[in-house]
Amino acid sequence: MPINKSAYRRYKIIDQLVLNKMKRFPTMTEIIDACWDKLGIDTSPETIQKDMANMRKLPPEGFDAPIYYDHKGRGYAYSDPDYELGGVSLSDTDIETIRESIEFIQTIGGSRISEKFNHAMEKILSTSIEEFSAGNTKQAILQTMNPPKSRGFEHFDLFYKACREKTPVSLVHYSYKKRNFSVLTIHPFMIKEFENKWYVMGFSEKHNQIRTFGLDRVFDPFLLKKKYIPVDKSTCEKEAHDYYGVFPIPNQKKQGVKIHVSALVTNYFEAYPIHESQVIEKEANGSSVISFNLIPTIELTRLFLSHGYHVKVIEPKWLIEFTENLK
Amino acid sequence: MKSKTSEPILFEIAENKDLADNPKVLRVILDPKFTRIDFGYNATGQYIKGGWIRMSPKTYVEVQGLAEKFLLTETTGITIAPKKVVFQSVKDWQFFTLYFQPIPQKDCVINIIEEENPTPDDFNYYGIELKMNEGVGILQNL
Repeated sequence: MPINKSAYRRYKIIDQLVLNKMKRFPTMTEIIDACWDKLGIDTSPETIQKDMANMRKLPPEGFDAPIYYDHKGRGYAYSDPDYELGGVSLSDTDIETIRESIEFIQTIGGSRISEKFNHAMEKILSTSIEEFSAGNTKQAILQTMNPPKSRGFEHFDLFYKACREKTPVSLVHYSYKKRNFSVLTIHPFMIKEFENKWYVMGFSEKHNQIRTFGLDRVFDPFLLKKKYIPVDKSTCEKEAHDYYGVFPIPNQKKQGVKIHVSALVTNYFEAYPIHESQVIEKEANGSSVISFNLIPTIELTRLFLSHGYHVKVIEPKWLIEFTENLK
Repeated sequence: MKSKTSEPILFEIAENKDLADNPKVLRVILDPKFTRIDFGYNATGQYIKGGWIRMSPKTYVEVQGLAEKFLLTETTGITIAPKKVVFQSVKDWQFFTLYFQPIPQKDCVINIIEEENPTPDDFNYYGIELKMNEGVGILQNL
């Protein structure tokens, strides 16, 4: 359950008082007075007691704060003298950077960021408001595509865990094209986003090769108590760098691809390169020949086709035919 | 691979020409607290808009060699009759799960019986073999 922002602010006040070396062992009255001074809110002793109990809880609910009442000092203290709430002191630049990051994360967070991230984000956000409320703005100045949550995204956490902890997964997969359900055991190593669609990549026992599965077509995945089949690092890197998109065209290796592009659409390729290997050779009339060195994918051919007569595949020969057949 | 256990054990059900394939039985999970069976269904052209599906509340699992019936307790993705999941097209499809009372976690052959005197429209399956050494333990709580 999320902790409200007022509570975080009181935690910070309690923390600052307890850490104050000039005036050790703050009393309950002094804490209540400090809350009034800094927050303008009348706080009861019961609330402060609850706050301290919450601070003692383990993360992520609390902060594992070793706060106790020192009978000798007649006030509150930390049993660990090195303890500090949050444990990190931030410079103004750090805070500013965090604020920008939070705004960015909030902007994209609607559907792309896992739910569990929200709790941690609230903590950071509350702290930054507490310390820098004057500069905080409510008006969003970043906007990205933020479509409604897609089917299958709820499996994100499970696949993330499976990739991180190298755990095989049993899943039910539905092929839209074949209209067929199948049960697969995969050994996932990467989650990939492309055009706001999410995919998991892994070694599929049934296919005996690395395959990519759209999360929208995956049902009820389970983590399995089974030996994980690892994928070597170079394969992972290849998956990350050699594709535009997700689904490679079967049996095709990394190769040169050339397209002829109209002057109009050349502007877009110049502004938004689609792959790190992209090279543009301009012609006098503004049109261009653009070359890539990558593993051709379904998404690459769809991109070419989406530009209509502005883009024409010129190499390799098989891709010319392949693209024509997709029309 | 497991032999004796009290954790959930997952069995992939291989394609089998003797088993009805629509709905297709996909997985069986034997948990100490329940038996779970996953199915996939494709709507067909038999009806203009794909028709509908539902499960009889009397559906049960039987273990060959045992007299006991393991009754249907819960469903997801499909309704219990008289309610229906109604399709909108002949291309619709549905993943669904049936939960039954737990069957013993040991080698067995099970039947899934929706109707004891079935018509072709009823979901009856016979002879699903579960070998404990082919099952895999599940790491998470279900």
